[in-house]
Amino acid sequence: MTALGQVLLLSAFVASGWAALACIAGRREEGGPLWRSGVAAGAAAAILLSAAAGILVWALLARDFGFKYVVDYSSWGLPWHYALSAFWVGQAGSLLLWAWMLALLALAFLFWPGREPSRLHGPAFGVLMAYLCLLVGVMIFAADPMEPSLSAPSEGAGLSPLLQHPAMLIHPPIVFLGYAGWAVPFALAVCALCSGKLDAEWVRESRPWALFSWLVLGAGILLGADWAYEELGWGGYWGWDPVESGSLMPWLTGTALIHALMVWQYRRGMRKTALALAVVTFGLCNFATFLTRSGIFSSLHAFSRSPIGWTFLGEMALLLLGGTALLLWRRRSLGAELRTASAWTRETMVVVATIALLLLAAVTLVGTAWVPLSDLFVGRKVIVGTAFYNHVLIPTGLVLLATTAPAPLLRWGKPPTRQQWRGLAAACIVAGAAVIVALAVGLRHVIALAVVGTSALTATALAGALALDSILQRPAKPWLGVLAALRARRRQYAGFLIHLGLVCLAVGVTGTSLGTRRYEIAMHEGETVVWAGRQVRFAGLVERKVGQKHVVEARLEVTPQGGSPYTLLPAQHLHAPQNEWTTEVAIHSTWRGDFYTILHYGESEDGVHLTFVEAPMMRWLWFSGWVAALGVVLRLWPVRSPRPTPPGQAPPPAPHSRRTGRRRTVCATGHESGGP
Amino acid sequence: MRIGTKLIVGAAIIAGTTAYMAYLGASASWQYYVTAEECLASSDSLVGSRLRVSGRIAPGSLEIAPDRRRAEFALAVPDGRLRVVCDGPLPDNLAEGVDVVVEGRLEEGALLRGTKVLTRCASKYESKSPNKVETRLGDAP
Repeated sequence: MTALGQVLLLSAFVASGWAALACIAGRREEGGPLWRSGVAAGAAAAILLSAAAGILVWALLARDFGFKYVVDYSSWGLPWHYALSAFWVGQAGSLLLWAWMLALLALAFLFWPGREPSRLHGPAFGVLMAYLCLLVGVMIFAADPMEPSLSAPSEGAGLSPLLQHPAMLIHPPIVFLGYAGWAVPFALAVCALCSGKLDAEWVRESRPWALFSWLVLGAGILLGADWAYEELGWGGYWGWDPVESGSLMPWLTGTALIHALMVWQYRRGMRKTALALAVVTFGLCNFATFLTRSGIFSSLHAFSRSPIGWTFLGEMALLLLGGTALLLWRRRSLGAELRTASAWTRETMVVVATIALLLLAAVTLVGTAWVPLSDLFVGRKVIVGTAFYNHVLIPTGLVLLATTAPAPLLRWGKPPTRQQWRGLAAACIVAGAAVIVALAVGLRHVIALAVVGTSALTATALAGALALDSILQRPAKPWLGVLAALRARRRQYAGFLIHLGLVCLAVGVTGTSLGTRRYEIAMHEGETVVWAGRQVRFAGLVERKVGQKHVVEARLEVTPQGGSPYTLLPAQHLHAPQNEWTTEVAIHSTWRGDFYTILHYGESEDGVHLTFVEAPMMRWLWFSGWVAALGVVLRLWPVRSPRPTPPGQAPPPAPHSRRTGRRRTVCATGHESGGP
Repeated sequence: MRIGTKLIVGAAIIAGTTAYMAYLGASASWQYYVTAEECLASSDSLVGSRLRVSGRIAPGSLEIAPDRRRAEFALAVPDGRLRVVCDGPLPDNLAEGVDVVVEGRLEEGALLRGTKVLTRCASKYESKSPNKVETRLGDAP
């Protein structure tokens, strides 16, 4: 089977290489024989990679120790779903997963039903195939998932117990899907720059892919944070480790890209910025891969020092240099960055938010690369701690919230109308009232108060915009107007829903960063302690055997003040195959915060050692992901095509067409009326 | 003031504030990042400095207090050992032969007084040699 797998990979390498050449060379005659042969080769590459992935999945599930990869990452004692997750645990397997996803996405990009014809599709598919060819080449020459095992043992090493967590079943594939997704806006940007077709076409094509990739990568990051929170047992979810920063940087620049694309679409501005961001975002995806494979960064993750890391760094350098050269070449066609009549416009807010996002990404990059940079320039390796990043997150995060908050009551290209100014004033009053209420209930931290104020401003501005829009619909009843406004401008409100997700994220991050409290205690059986408004009784330890695990579990009976009692079972698991202990925390989660309990193994005369952590607003952080996901789905949901007009009959006027003077007042908020 | 000028001033304020906050954060949290071998070789110049030291726990050197609040061990280097005393909560998989990162300060006599010890996450991309696999299987209960 290993030989068949290697043949499949080799065939996929040849097929993707031909697809790249044929689609780029045959770009002038889309539909011609050369182009068609390229598309067929691309489809063949996807099928071949699917077959290779199928072989590896079968080998992992069947524990075929003839594969070196299976020996390294699987074992008979592993449940089938974790045996399957070993697919993306190792370097070679994760590369295969990445390549496979890229191949499938490239086909979806080419054959997506109902898409409008585009001159960029053919060559962009060729660029995607060129990148796929490179990924498969790296596998064949440096990290072969089909490598045979020299001496097929009867048992493998298994999977680290820390990676046996539900989040690990989906976190890595989702992150790789996000990386693969960012290749599409990059390919379109390169083709637009090379061909000089720098019109709205590439914006129309890129936006859904950028949104999709943004959602997927963001979901992957949140799932990784969830894994760290639940599995590592330290009460936190983000440590600014290079592996975390690596995936965050493209997400930040991708966020800026999505907004720059909107400015291009509505104001024909930020064109150089948008193209540069498309290249930089995909470049940073390659940099993240370099981070995890070069071995030169200080990470708590035990990565192998593989030469393929440098391949990805070289790729990133090539992408950035090539992108810069193309931008310089086309700078005259791209024109001025932005002309705006007022500071109180959406595009101004986007420019300021982009600056904040890029600063945060740049600081993250500098902090991550501090070790090799200081070694290079000072001759000593210096590392910066989490305080470095957290300090920077304060001004940049507040700027992001402040620019997001008034957006619903602003317009593209024009200052707000009189009604919008009134709405903004009302929203500011509500935000001020929210801050006063927060002060009254005891909140004193200035950052927390700022987040409360901007969150209230965001929600009220959104409600105000919805109210103005619903009035303009002239409904029979107010709620009908709200429904009509939401239906007419579904995509715009979906965008604002994503902004509400950002607010939830800010509430979660601020609450946990400023309000987390820890309490370490040794307790005897039957002992009760009162802490953070809760009465906690340690009812005793239970030891039992679950499969190959020896489980030691503490039973904690918790009675919150004015709440219903509940039981928590923090535990320690001894995994027999690896002879390794893992901490299994127990969490009680509410909208006000999490009560997080840790059992430390080892018992002394003082009793059993436990740690209690109170993490306020934690649930809001996870909830932000669901809100943003709903927003993206609503944003990407296709618009229903209008019914064809019967012959001889004039088409009905567009309800919110920007071309009709009278109707323009209906669009007073400068809203998008459902276009792409 | 023109819009462009306002934007430039705004961007300068944001960038300046961010740079200042980055400086504050860096000055409060920077540490020398050294291997146990480098730490032992430059122990005279590193005494009192904030350090992050990576290394592997030497066989037969690990002693963990019963309450798991304190650990004493040595980090293996080719020509000796770097002694470490670490107070605070200890990670689950702290064991001999494990790669660790210790944060703390170096004291006279090349003693690393750690405030935090972290084991490297046996994460993805780590390839294990077949020999290691056999050893681990042999050790398993």
